Amino acid sequence: MTVTSPEKAKIELRDVRKSFGAVNIIHGLDLSIEGGEFVVFVGPSGCGKSTLLRMIAGLEDVTSGDIFIAGRDVTELDPAKRGIAMVFQSYALYPHMSVRENLAFGLEMAKTPAEEIERQVQGAAQILKIGPLLERRPGQLSGGQRQRVAIGRAIVRKPLAFLFDEPLSNLDAELRVSMRIEIARLHRELGNTMIYVTHDQTEAMTLADRIVVLRDGRIEQVGTPREVYEDPSNLFVAGFIGSPRMNIVDAIYAGDGRIKIADTVMALGQNFAGVAAGDGIKLGIRPEHLNVAQSSSTALRAKVDFAEYLGSTRYLYCYLPSGETITVEQRDGRDLSSGEEIFLRCDPERLRLFSTGGDRLRSANTAGMPTA
Amino acid sequence: MARTRNSSARRLFANIRYHGFGIVVGLLFLAPLVWSVLVSFKPSVEARQPPLPPWPVDGFSVQSYDNLAQYGSGIWTYTGNSLMVSAATVVASVIVSLFAGYGFSRFRFPFKNALFVLIISTVMIPFQSILTPLFLILTKLGLQNTLTGIVLVYVTLQLPFSIFMMRNAFDAVPKEIEDAARVDGASVLRVLYRIMLPLVLPGVVTVAIFAFLASWNEFLAALILLTDQNKYTLPVLMAAVRSGQFGTIDWGAVQSGVTLMMAPCLALFLLLQRYYIRGLTAGAVK
Ligand SMILES: Nc1ncnc2c1ncn2[C@@H]1O[C@H](COP(=O)(O)OP(=O)(O)OP(=O)(O)O)[C@@H](O)[C@H]1O
Ligand SMILES: [Mg+2]
Repeated sequence: MTVTSPEKAKIELRDVRKSFGAVNIIHGLDLSIEGGEFVVFVGPSGCGKSTLLRMIAGLEDVTSGDIFIAGRDVTELDPAKRGIAMVFQSYALYPHMSVRENLAFGLEMAKTPAEEIERQVQGAAQILKIGPLLERRPGQLSGGQRQRVAIGRAIVRKPLAFLFDEPLSNLDAELRVSMRIEIARLHRELGNTMIYVTHDQTEAMTLADRIVVLRDGRIEQVGTPREVYEDPSNLFVAGFIGSPRMNIVDAIYAGDGRIKIADTVMALGQNFAGVAAGDGIKLGIRPEHLNVAQSSSTALRAKVDFAEYLGSTRYLYCYLPSGETITVEQRDGRDLSSGEEIFLRCDPERLRLFSTGGDRLRSANTAGMPTA
Repeated sequence: MARTRNSSARRLFANIRYHGFGIVVGLLFLAPLVWSVLVSFKPSVEARQPPLPPWPVDGFSVQSYDNLAQYGSGIWTYTGNSLMVSAATVVASVIVSLFAGYGFSRFRFPFKNALFVLIISTVMIPFQSILTPLFLILTKLGLQNTLTGIVLVYVTLQLPFSIFMMRNAFDAVPKEIEDAARVDGASVLRVLYRIMLPLVLPGVVTVAIFAFLASWNEFLAALILLTDQNKYTLPVLMAAVRSGQFGTIDWGAVQSGVTLMMAPCLALFLLLQRYYIRGLTAGAVK
């Protein structure tokens, strides 16, 4: 049997704010999450991801604004009445209870009849393959097993939505990959709305239907993984999403769709809006879009500082003549060693331009079109 | 070959040294207890003799216990008083410190830390110095010379340590466990009862043991606040036995009293030491 939730709950945040004492942590945040959507919150440490999630869960009061789950205003409601279940980073299993009791606790609190509890527990145990562990205490489980139990405890409550706060960050790399796949499978099978907080780029990119990039309690961008990666709406998102980071290089807009980096002039083949010839700009280039090329007046001159060999690929950490560092992903060609002078080329299509203030500059003909 | 024999010999020697030392220290601690117990089983006359050998030579006798039982209003009255006072002190200390510790650990309220420091700092006041005001307060309340009064005094004296202990115990429980219980639908009281209490049980046991020992053995306050002879607790009775009747001191009775008094302490300790040790080290690791 499977445990499926009755409906796919839409979650809406309207001008949600949070302050601890005089310190504002979340600044008027609006977000609408579709029913059944898998949304991932990412952002630097301390930006308020956990706080936001805990506000949705009802574990943290909302200073102002409203939260709707499945069309119901839950802003003042107890966590248990919101129809959500939460999985914590530290698992937060009840150490003195067996796995079975851990799973049953929530249902017991809801005064579910015993045979129904048993059915739910068995169902969850089957989905998560923890059947043989039911009589054990959390202390007798491995990290991965504990995380399954924590997820199981969320499943049995048949929530409208799941909230995950960095659920995999305590696991080792290998286990993280397999649990990530299980969570994706779980989402496919249950179809619930899920909100997932993570630091991990791969988790965010692979799991998310949409990624919400947060900084200092504000949303920087909301979009599909492809949108935030390929079409970042500002310098922060560009630098935050992607590993290794996108290279950001100072450049001058030379007008007529040309830019000047140090003494190299590149033609972009299109005009940009909101920038005049002679303006300083920031140029974003992903490491994988740079190619090591023959000497050419339209290529960037760089000096290899050191090279990393990763098996399937190599990273070159280089200096530009301006002293800026630039990372290059080199997939073929000969090994380069430190001190060598190389030339870098990039498909102009791949370049992303930002104003010095950090806003994205877009092509004049398509300005404002592909935004999230 | 020679190497392994050598190292196993060394290990054996280390073992002997380790256990030998433990046994010697153990004997040192046990000797006075055993001596008291043995003397208490000597006949009264023999108990008054010089103490060597420490065991009864003229056969075991419960004469000293009989003598002790005859004292004042009878030993059972005093034992009952002591048990009642101790039990009430334990229960009250545990309940108050459980809630206070939870509050100090988990709630945010103004002057929380100042209040906590204030409570802890009362330990620095020697309670002998406030006996007179305590006496006056109890008299005002009509609780002077009552067991309730003495229980209140004991609980008050026990609270700083107890609250400190329980706050630490609650601090050691990750907040997320409580959050999980709240998401699971447990009310505040139910979280406290079903989730937190089992997790802070070592702390509770420690508080209970300390409250029991302190109130069971306390002498000065009991002597001063209890004036009625049949309200005496065991320590006060023992002082009376110790100071003798008709000019002679019945050492057998004294030792049987000592044995009687230490029996519950030892039993409790042995029964609960598993929790007690965990309670004292809670939060020390991780
Ligand atoms: N109870 C609290 N009292 C005061 N400030 C708090 C409290 N909880 C969180 N904060 C502050 O709110 C900010 C956001 O914290 P939050 O835990 O939401 O960050 P986060 O994005 O989850 O970070 P991380 O990625 O490290 O988990 C931080 O600056 C933190 O210091
Ligand atoms: Mg966090």
